[in-house]
Amino acid sequence: MDNNTKTIGAAVVVGGGIAGMQASLDLASSGIKVYLVETKPSIGGVMAQLDKTFPTNDCAMCTMAPRLVEISSHKNIELISLAEVESVKGEAGNFTVTVKKRPRYVDEKKCTGCGSCLAVCPVGKAKAAQDGKERKIKPIPDEYNEGLSTRPAVSIPFPQAIPNKAFIDNRYCLYINGGKCGNCKKACKADAIEFDQKEQIFELNVGAIMVTPGYELFDIGSKPEYGSGKFENVLTALRFERILSASGPYQGKVLRPSDKKIPKKLAFIQCVGSRDHERDYCSAVCCMYATKEALIAKEHLGDQLEIDILYMDIRAYGKGFEEYYQRAQKLGVNYIRCRVPDIEEKPDTKNLVIHYLSENDKKVTREYDMIILSTGLLAPKSAKQISSTLGITLNEYNFCNTGPFTPVNSSREGIFVAGPFTEPKDVPETVIQASGAASKALSLLCGSRGTLIKEKEYPSEKDITGQEARIGVFICHCGKNIGGVANVPEVVKYASTLPSVVHAEDNLYMCSSDAIDKIKQKIEEHHLNRVVVASCTPRTHEPLFKNTIREAGLNEYLFEMANIREHCTWAHMHEPEAATKKAKGLVQMAVAKSKLLEPLYRQFVPINQDCLVIGGGIAGMTAAKEVADKGFLVHLVEKEAQLGGNARKLHYLIDGANPQDYLNDLIKTVNNHENIRVHTASPIESLNGSIGKFKTVINNAGNKQEIEHGAVILATGGIEHKPSEYMYGKNKRVMTQLELEDKLVNDPKFKAPECVVMIQCVESRNDDRPYCSRICCASAVKNALKIKEKYPDAGVYVLYRDMRTFGFLEGYYTKARQKGIVFSIYDKDRKPELIESKNGNLTVRYFDSTMQENIEIDSDYVVLSTPVIPRPENKELASLLKVPLDQNKFFLEAHIKLRPVDFATDGIFLCGLAHYPKSIKDSIAQAGAAAARASTILSKKFIETEGAISVVDEAKCIGCGTCVNVCPYNAPALEEVTVTVEEVTYKTKKSRINPAACKGCGSCAAACPAGAITAQHFSSREIREVIDAFDKGVRGVSIEKSIVEVMV
Amino acid sequence: MKVDPKLLSEVRKYGDFDVTGCFNCGSCTVNCNLSKDSPTFPRKSMRHVIMGLKDNLNSSLEPWLCYYCGDCSKTCPRQAEPGEAMMTLRRYLTSKYDWTGLASKFYRSVAWEIGAILLVAAFVLVLGVMFTGPMVTDRVSLNTFAPVEKVHLFDIGMFTVLSFFIISNAFNMFRLTMYKDKSIKIPVSLYFTQLKELIVHAATQKRFKDCTTSDRWIKHWLLVMGYGTMFILIVVFLSWFQTDNIYPIYHPQRWLGYFATIVLIVFTIEILYGRMIKKEQIHRFSHLSDWLFPILLLLTAVTGIAVHIFRYIEMPLPTYYTYAIHMAVAVPMLVVEVPFGKWSHLVYRPLAVYFQSIKDKAIQLQKGESKHGQ
Repeated sequence: MDNNTKTIGAAVVVGGGIAGMQASLDLASSGIKVYLVETKPSIGGVMAQLDKTFPTNDCAMCTMAPRLVEISSHKNIELISLAEVESVKGEAGNFTVTVKKRPRYVDEKKCTGCGSCLAVCPVGKAKAAQDGKERKIKPIPDEYNEGLSTRPAVSIPFPQAIPNKAFIDNRYCLYINGGKCGNCKKACKADAIEFDQKEQIFELNVGAIMVTPGYELFDIGSKPEYGSGKFENVLTALRFERILSASGPYQGKVLRPSDKKIPKKLAFIQCVGSRDHERDYCSAVCCMYATKEALIAKEHLGDQLEIDILYMDIRAYGKGFEEYYQRAQKLGVNYIRCRVPDIEEKPDTKNLVIHYLSENDKKVTREYDMIILSTGLLAPKSAKQISSTLGITLNEYNFCNTGPFTPVNSSREGIFVAGPFTEPKDVPETVIQASGAASKALSLLCGSRGTLIKEKEYPSEKDITGQEARIGVFICHCGKNIGGVANVPEVVKYASTLPSVVHAEDNLYMCSSDAIDKIKQKIEEHHLNRVVVASCTPRTHEPLFKNTIREAGLNEYLFEMANIREHCTWAHMHEPEAATKKAKGLVQMAVAKSKLLEPLYRQFVPINQDCLVIGGGIAGMTAAKEVADKGFLVHLVEKEAQLGGNARKLHYLIDGANPQDYLNDLIKTVNNHENIRVHTASPIESLNGSIGKFKTVINNAGNKQEIEHGAVILATGGIEHKPSEYMYGKNKRVMTQLELEDKLVNDPKFKAPECVVMIQCVESRNDDRPYCSRICCASAVKNALKIKEKYPDAGVYVLYRDMRTFGFLEGYYTKARQKGIVFSIYDKDRKPELIESKNGNLTVRYFDSTMQENIEIDSDYVVLSTPVIPRPENKELASLLKVPLDQNKFFLEAHIKLRPVDFATDGIFLCGLAHYPKSIKDSIAQAGAAAARASTILSKKFIETEGAISVVDEAKCIGCGTCVNVCPYNAPALEEVTVTVEEVTYKTKKSRINPAACKGCGSCAAACPAGAITAQHFSSREIREVIDAFDKGVRGVSIEKSIVEVMV
Repeated sequence: MKVDPKLLSEVRKYGDFDVTGCFNCGSCTVNCNLSKDSPTFPRKSMRHVIMGLKDNLNSSLEPWLCYYCGDCSKTCPRQAEPGEAMMTLRRYLTSKYDWTGLASKFYRSVAWEIGAILLVAAFVLVLGVMFTGPMVTDRVSLNTFAPVEKVHLFDIGMFTVLSFFIISNAFNMFRLTMYKDKSIKIPVSLYFTQLKELIVHAATQKRFKDCTTSDRWIKHWLLVMGYGTMFILIVVFLSWFQTDNIYPIYHPQRWLGYFATIVLIVFTIEILYGRMIKKEQIHRFSHLSDWLFPILLLLTAVTGIAVHIFRYIEMPLPTYYTYAIHMAVAVPMLVVEVPFGKWSHLVYRPLAVYFQSIKDKAIQLQKGESKHGQ
């Protein structure tokens, strides 16, 4: 893009699911004005309906709610709900987008989301008429609960909805359809109801368009063999998800819909609407969501619940998935490999009977109380319309076309895509792609960054010096998470009796935007100068509440949080009385501490706007290019003499694309880019500093060079594991997939084989290496197809445990079978054997479960699919960068779901194989994502430091350096100072803490032998007060006193 | 068990074997009414071919136990057409049983199949020219033109030769499926006690009734009955059947003949029509042999009844010529189809059911013994 052409510093994001939200936030934080267009009344997408997320079983809403709030309060994001894009004119950099907004019939500015209108709406409720007879009114299915409950005609989709405004459904409203009723208008205290609202059509002028419309779930109505949705106890997985959810139709109790009884036996049927002849793709997420729902159901009902998951291949291919699957098996979830052709309903009990063919070829009949259908993902219903409106092309299944090296580009320049609209995918991959798409838009619009945005403004801070503490306590029910166990009203009552507390109240969700507004209102009303919120973990929600009190004019550090969910009601799920008591204690401790809180101030540290990219493979080079395209200087550091990394060994991709062409182009681009400095053969010697000002020394054959930079992107890659099994290294005809690929292309001596055997999961998915390497199944299919292409008569046998050809890779798996490539399952506990006869022939022998006998395959070559393993130097690099590794020694991101390219340490980002095994396409997407995330920092001139950091009392400091040794973030340093004490002047060393690096962890304060360091916000005085409160308040809860005393 | 990677391409020469999508899910087997606990099919047979387990395939009875209702193909999530695959396997196995190698040639080559039929037809016509008597034109005298004793002698001769081939092929089937199967010990006595299965199934095809398409069983059974009646009339009672006398209408010779003819004509036309419109699952794929057998059968019945009609309306010459054509159709049908073609399933199917029942019994006995032993 020519920077001289004027681009518009704004973007429109079409679709407000998790992809649209991520893209909006990345763009808005880098200085682009964002219009987020959502067709539904609220953003949030499907993730808002989920109870928990795999593979960590994190509460979905809890991780998502802060983002929802961030979007609603972000000054650079304009949310346009109930709207669709009508047409697009113009070209990349300058589009005119026509948007049609449907009427909400509620003034969004006036509505507070209080819900009064919902209570008085007569529609959809059975109402006793005056004559005493009950009139039947057709219930309105509640979309949020997948039709398992009903809603009135005026509604708020869910408690955390954004915008948190009522919405009148004109299909059902009595007033709109006949002029009678109007109850809501009478009940609305804010006078927000506007029955005469009309459809609005307006134009937006933007530089880029992000398309993230999500997906549709397969409709079981078109599956007569599974009852077409008419069997009451046959549910889609999303419905079951709602049943599991505390905010669901049965308040989190697992009941079957026909008789509301607790089910004893339930089954999941996988691949409903995917992997069949009509949809020859895998929906990529169902194996894991079924596992998740099975685990949650077991959590709810315990061992009395029997769960079978009826699957064909368990596709646990993502980070942490295989371990999750193993855990589910250990916890008693029963996985049965089969495909169920149909379901019969027993008319009397409404139980369900199925038949299947077991792996060892036996016909089995089973009866269940409830069956969950793991329905697949389809392209959104609007796909065709979007395609014609935006002028972008779709594939045969109506998903958006993307290229093998352009994972976020649509067929039209300036229009970028992300999320399941491109291919079925899970949340982290959606988030990665969304950031990747944002990166493309940021590069396109880099010339007009910051031209259309506003800075967030806070009211001036109230001075509270000398004021008595006036504490407000806000206690959250978290749906049923807290309120279902502890007696929240009792805790509120107790809190209001505590000293200095002037106000206490509860709310169903403290993080919902109406509750947030209420906190602000109460701060005003009661002149609060300290705020305590008792809810969930501060890790996800503290920033939100801090921001809230800041918006109400209080210093953000006058806030304290009590975690009464993770620390209380989740831990004591079955002891409501003890939980209530403990909640009171936790609130009392927070209140005690809050009394002593003092205002703290953040500092502004200037940012170096250069970026360091470590690793010159596909991921590193792509990241470097993407950052450089945004106008920032990039230092690309590679320890090898050559750029290219693992991609140098790849000669063809599964879709036929040539990675060498792409790689050579990329190397050329990177070498010639005006904003990129390439440093090959330059390992890193040291890396210091923190976000905004890092200093790195690289060593090019003795020539040391210091680089200053503001952010780091880690793209150090991984390596193909060389196994010790199956005569590898001893017999030349045994090789890895990469070696085979090389031989197929480059080895003139490679003789036409009669038969090749591939063995999957070699030294992978075992006790030593429990993870699934994700790419090996596709590699095997790719190479098997290549063999068939070159030698059509050769037999190819692939021995596997689960074929994990997720998403559109499934089509290649089908193609391979069509070409006569044989796929056979082997059991983990009966691994194939390799036998070498005296005349040197190789024979693979394995036990086939369908045949129930040993099968022998004479083979010319034996190809081992070995995993991608982390680089051995990861450990060293991790300690240099102060970032963590996961249990498999890959780098561990900040949050597996929603922050897949960030580290917990600010300013450092991650992409490529260093994160986890992945394909080139996925690496490119993630590299883009890392570039977008880095650009949210580099595009600013300053960063605000943390306020609650440690400070040194120099008078007490003895310069011993203990703090320097214990700090995990390299924040303290000893500096020489001249001290004058009573006319004696001498030189000594004192500790100084770098505020930009300090995270306020308090390690130094705890270790300092002289007591010179105070961890602000966690001072000894404050802690002591908390412990005293514990002693006073939580007595009776049996925690050993001795432990507490040791802590003191 | 060793695999043979070439098996799939070999089997594919015998007709459709589309493994396109098969991912071994077993839906086909679950849906099959005939596949009980053991043996199970069609998945297992599909696997034999896909994996290249040639010995397992050659020794399997499963393809014969399937009557092709087509349910498996209808519910196959990958449209891999397991029903048609079983059909192809029956052709393949027929060729494996046939030691002459002709069956294999006929199934795999259109030229061989059509050529053989034309050759035999020509042979019959040559024989006719050489051995037929004078054509009496003032009245119909078929027995002067083709004396029944001579024809009967030819019939019996052909019957003996064809029986030799089909019986030796059946013996081959026994050798491959029973004798070579060392996994079960089969007491010889079972071959006698289970003999009733052979007779019952040959006469009734009652397994077919368990298919979800049970109307096909009635049609098929009637067709077999018609064919059987005609076969007995021709082979055993030809002197009574091929006569210049016109019996009264109530005479068994008349109505048995009519019954057989009507049944043959109606149901072969039904089959051919079905194969043309491809509505039913079993008719969606048609190998050449699937067309030829019913066509030849239909032509035989049509020419047969035509001979009768011409004789009835006293048209001597058309009677003789039609008779010649009748022979030139019926003989190739029998010679080519009985031991080397689709006809042979009349023998192999009941045999397979019989063999399977012996195996089942033997397994039962073994289980009983081992329990007793404990």
